[in-house]
Amino acid sequence: MTNELVDFVIISIALLAIGIYGVSVKRNAIRMLFAIEIIINAANLNLVAFARYIPNSKGQTFALFSIAIAAAEVAVGLALIIVAYRMYKNVDIAEFRSLKG
Amino acid sequence: MIEITSPPVILIAILGTIGMLLPVISIMRKEKGSSSIYAVIAFGALIASLGYIVYEVATNQIPHSALFSGDVLANDSFSGLFAIAMLIVSIMTTVGSFNFMRKQSHHAVYYSLILLSTIGMVLVAYSTDLVMLFVAWELMSIPTYVLAGFMKKNPSSNEAALKYFLFGALSSAIIVYGISIVYGLTGSTNIGEVMTGLANIDPQMMPLAILAVAMFIAGFGFKMGLVPFHMWLPDTYEGAPPTITALLAAGTKKAGFAAALRVIIMGTIALNLDWTFALGVIAVMTMTVGNVAAIMQKNISRMLAYSSIGHAGYILIGLAVAPFTVLGIQGSLFHILNHAVMKGAAFIAIAGIVVTLGITNIDKLKGLGRKMPIISIGLVVSLLALAGVPPTSGFWSKLMLFGSALDTGVPSWAPWLAIAGVLNSALSLAYYGWIIRKMYFEGETEKRIAEPKSIIAVMVFSVIFLIGIGVYPDPIIDFTKNAVPALDAMLTPSG
Repeated sequence: MTNELVDFVIISIALLAIGIYGVSVKRNAIRMLFAIEIIINAANLNLVAFARYIPNSKGQTFALFSIAIAAAEVAVGLALIIVAYRMYKNVDIAEFRSLKG
Repeated sequence: MIEITSPPVILIAILGTIGMLLPVISIMRKEKGSSSIYAVIAFGALIASLGYIVYEVATNQIPHSALFSGDVLANDSFSGLFAIAMLIVSIMTTVGSFNFMRKQSHHAVYYSLILLSTIGMVLVAYSTDLVMLFVAWELMSIPTYVLAGFMKKNPSSNEAALKYFLFGALSSAIIVYGISIVYGLTGSTNIGEVMTGLANIDPQMMPLAILAVAMFIAGFGFKMGLVPFHMWLPDTYEGAPPTITALLAAGTKKAGFAAALRVIIMGTIALNLDWTFALGVIAVMTMTVGNVAAIMQKNISRMLAYSSIGHAGYILIGLAVAPFTVLGIQGSLFHILNHAVMKGAAFIAIAGIVVTLGITNIDKLKGLGRKMPIISIGLVVSLLALAGVPPTSGFWSKLMLFGSALDTGVPSWAPWLAIAGVLNSALSLAYYGWIIRKMYFEGETEKRIAEPKSIIAVMVFSVIFLIGIGVYPDPIIDFTKNAVPALDAMLTPSG
């Protein structure tokens, strides 16, 4: 039994690492957005896996909440990226330089 | 169960209903013309909510520092203080937007998003459950992503919004991951139960618990603008519409501190860790980086953005010494309330300058003191309050913060926090003074020009608030004393 839980946690941590790598290395706004989604899904996987071994369903409930909220967040983010694309014809955030100190 | 008449429920009812109705009203109304009606409705809703909370607090119906409960929301004076600060900020933003929005379109959506974001900020302070905290956190953040990019045709507004969105989404992803670890370790999401669970944790699981607390610090730190996580902040504050910058700097940032006080401080105490030193180092780094970078700025919004980073450092002093003295959190709460009003006033004053003159470059502010006397006085008073000059309220809260660091004596490094704070305050006076010099002592005598009326109203309010509390701070100090969470109860291992 316990071995299964460890497997889930290892996959989740691997996903977290992939997400952090994507956010810190990539400069394409859509790639960064998807890297962030991978982190959120790693957390959801954690929550659902833990809820299997903990005698309450709070984890599953929270996973549903976080999926719904992540969807709302992606909707807003893609809208912002579309506006940026119309303006710059590009979604590379390293190219956006109107603000510099 | 939390009663139906308690402040958080009433706030959701008032602000939520009005916030959802505003766009509907705008679709129903066929004729164009006076779009300021939406601002008036939003203003009314916010004033009603503020009045209700102030009434509850003034008649002592709110229990003192009941930080943990089995519910998802706690009605205590700690969250009452944050609710009052955030409602004041939203009211200032709404009134200030009255003139600012005249040239923009989509008024109903704008005010509706401000109201929804306000509910989120207030609920962050009220929540005692990690699920509720996360939902409130996102309710606060998502509307502000849209608001920061509200000037669709303006490239810098768009860039500001996109950077803010990417870092904001990353911070919430990290927070969810932290919550998932904490749930796995303790089997609960209620903050009180989580802390009890963490206090009795299996030593083998300690690294995971430390990872979770580190993730909370990183996640909330993005919003608070702590130093390793601050890079989005100057860009966003400069590019976003100045009224929205006021909401971000004064509102969402303070919600980050509310969450930090509930989660991080409790977590570190429950885990019995020596995190205070780490928080102290972050505090000193944050204030130094903020103030040193502010000196080099040419744009007034950007300068105030860096000064806002510096102030996050001052507030963090109180959190760092929290386990050793009550004065620390008390000073933090007082400074949070003060900083909300001063920063809000400063950015609304900038909004007034942008609306009439369209400039944000500090060199072009020459002679502003004669051109726009009332806005200039408001800006000067809020800058002096930010620097902590005596007749303003900023002096008292900084005195409490630095005093708390000097007072404890338990960690030998604590006095250095106060020394760093005082040096940074002196440094900050240099660049605030530079703005004031440009405004009053340079440039030819120029004609006075008409100032936007709604912004004058905000300036008058904040000058009265800042000087009034500076002269007579006792009621607010008493209030913060009641609002300090009962840490002594947490210090005993059984929780």
